Amino acid sequence: MSAPGRIGLIARNTFLEAVRQKFFNVLVVLSIAMIASANFFRQFDFGSSELKFIADFGMGAIFLFGSILSVVVTAQLFFSEIENRTALTMLAKPVYRWEFIVGKFLGVFIVLFAFVTLMLALLAAVLYWRESGLMNIHPEDFEDGRLVNYLGIVELAFSELLKFGVLAAITMLIASFSNTNLYTVVLSFFVMVICQLQYIARDNWSDLDNPLLRGLVWFLSLLFPNFQMFNVGEQLIFPTHDATLSTGGYLGIIAYGSIYICMLLGLSAYSFRNREI
Amino acid sequence: MPLDRDSWFFRTGRKAVINFTALFLVGLAASPLQKRSWGEVRTFQPELNLQDVESALGQGIVIGLLGGFRTLLADFVYLRANYYWEKYDRPNTEALLGLTSSIDPRPMYFWLNGARMIAYDIPVWRIREKGAWEDVPEFYRKEIYREQVDRAMKMLDRAEKFHPDDMRLPLEKARIYYDKVNDYEKAAENYKRAIDLPNAPYYAHRIYANALDKAGHPREAYNFLKNRWFTMDHTNRGAMPEVVLERIRELEARLDTPFIERLPPQPGETEEQFNLSPFGESTISRQGEVNFNIAPATPDPAPAHDHDHDHGHDHNHDH
Repeated sequence: MSAPGRIGLIARNTFLEAVRQKFFNVLVVLSIAMIASANFFRQFDFGSSELKFIADFGMGAIFLFGSILSVVVTAQLFFSEIENRTALTMLAKPVYRWEFIVGKFLGVFIVLFAFVTLMLALLAAVLYWRESGLMNIHPEDFEDGRLVNYLGIVELAFSELLKFGVLAAITMLIASFSNTNLYTVVLSFFVMVICQLQYIARDNWSDLDNPLLRGLVWFLSLLFPNFQMFNVGEQLIFPTHDATLSTGGYLGIIAYGSIYICMLLGLSAYSFRNREI
Repeated sequence: MPLDRDSWFFRTGRKAVINFTALFLVGLAASPLQKRSWGEVRTFQPELNLQDVESALGQGIVIGLLGGFRTLLADFVYLRANYYWEKYDRPNTEALLGLTSSIDPRPMYFWLNGARMIAYDIPVWRIREKGAWEDVPEFYRKEIYREQVDRAMKMLDRAEKFHPDDMRLPLEKARIYYDKVNDYEKAAENYKRAIDLPNAPYYAHRIYANALDKAGHPREAYNFLKNRWFTMDHTNRGAMPEVVLERIRELEARLDTPFIERLPPQPGETEEQFNLSPFGESTISRQGEVNFNIAPATPDPAPAHDHDHDHGHDHNHDH
């Protein structure tokens, strides 16, 4: 069997193992419930329009549960192979360690793809239903057509998927040298928080007076990926004259995510290469 | 002592150095890409000011913020601010209003209503704390209003960083200056800024002239209204041309403007009102009511000071 075949087989098994887990199913059910209930929470909205509120709420749910899924499922599936000794059996066969890492990642990536697609499809359905209702009540506000850009939701699916992909790859890197599942999960969440706030370091390092501190903040800003770059849901779903993401900007985000995934997987394979199992 | 290449320390150290170096290099390589895309993306995103939300850390705020529930969280904090507002609890109301707009600075609703609570309602609470309205010395009342207006202005200044082209912010500032501290100079300055921005309401033009007049610049007010008369849409009821014309005539009379320089008689005005001789007596004799062909206007949502009122009461704002 060729390398792609072996990777495909590992990915397929990883995917099947993931969807059989209760954890995955509970998260999916929770996410569905949350997105579907966004419509009821709109009573709490004061600041933004109703459709924007539903979209914000839905994207918040996707980010929260998607992040948990990326970290926990990656760590769990990786360590289950080691704890159950199936990794030993697998690696005793002509399977390279990098193939194991890539196969595991691809399996998780397919899980994330299924999750993101399902959730965004549900969000699109909720938005479509509510928008149709509003169009009947306030037709004058929809003279130029629908406000929601449903094609933008498809674009959003890719950027969200890449964000979760980067997070899963970070978890894979940590798992490749860590000894326990818990340590991997906790550390991955810490790194996720750092990546969410990376932009502060990136935007402000040059304002610091102390050259030593400036250099340190600059170094740290380059060490972690910027997760806020993927935060483009509002611009993709509700593009306006002032706030529309250009094709170049969107492709840049996709390329940025892809580069990080490849790099992190490479480092994971390197770290896992000499690891004792 | 020779370095043991098989030791855990060496292996882990080497691995860490390689990993960090690789991540740093990829960060450096992806920097132009990040600069290009992030430069675009960040213009859409309200900056999360951690200093402002620092006081609320540990209350689940950060988890909510990082979890992407910014909108919902801001709404709940705003609800909480309203709870304290009902209890006349000044410190908590102000703190939570500030927190709301820090969590989600995008909605104008939070900024405007927050500033109104601070400038219109809280001074009344503070005065009531000292006793009945008439028992509190006027200078003290004015000082309280001045303090609260300054706080509201700080909030609106912050709002303008996020919404630099929204005329509602200078308009709100102008209204507060005009109504609450009678600072007509600053009111006029902000009305001017508002009317220079797109979608300014018609009444802002009229009250800009009022503010100029009250600030001691009646000549500028007159010139502005006269120019406005020629450029405004007379068929639009919201523009209230009859009110503009009335103000122009009032100012002409007060400024003793020579008849030759005055706005020519307009449809509906009686010819006898005007002595067109440049050397004639410069007093308008109002012979009969001004009667316009334009139907009485349904005014656009003009503030109360279109006709000066006293505002010693709580301001109505949305809750």
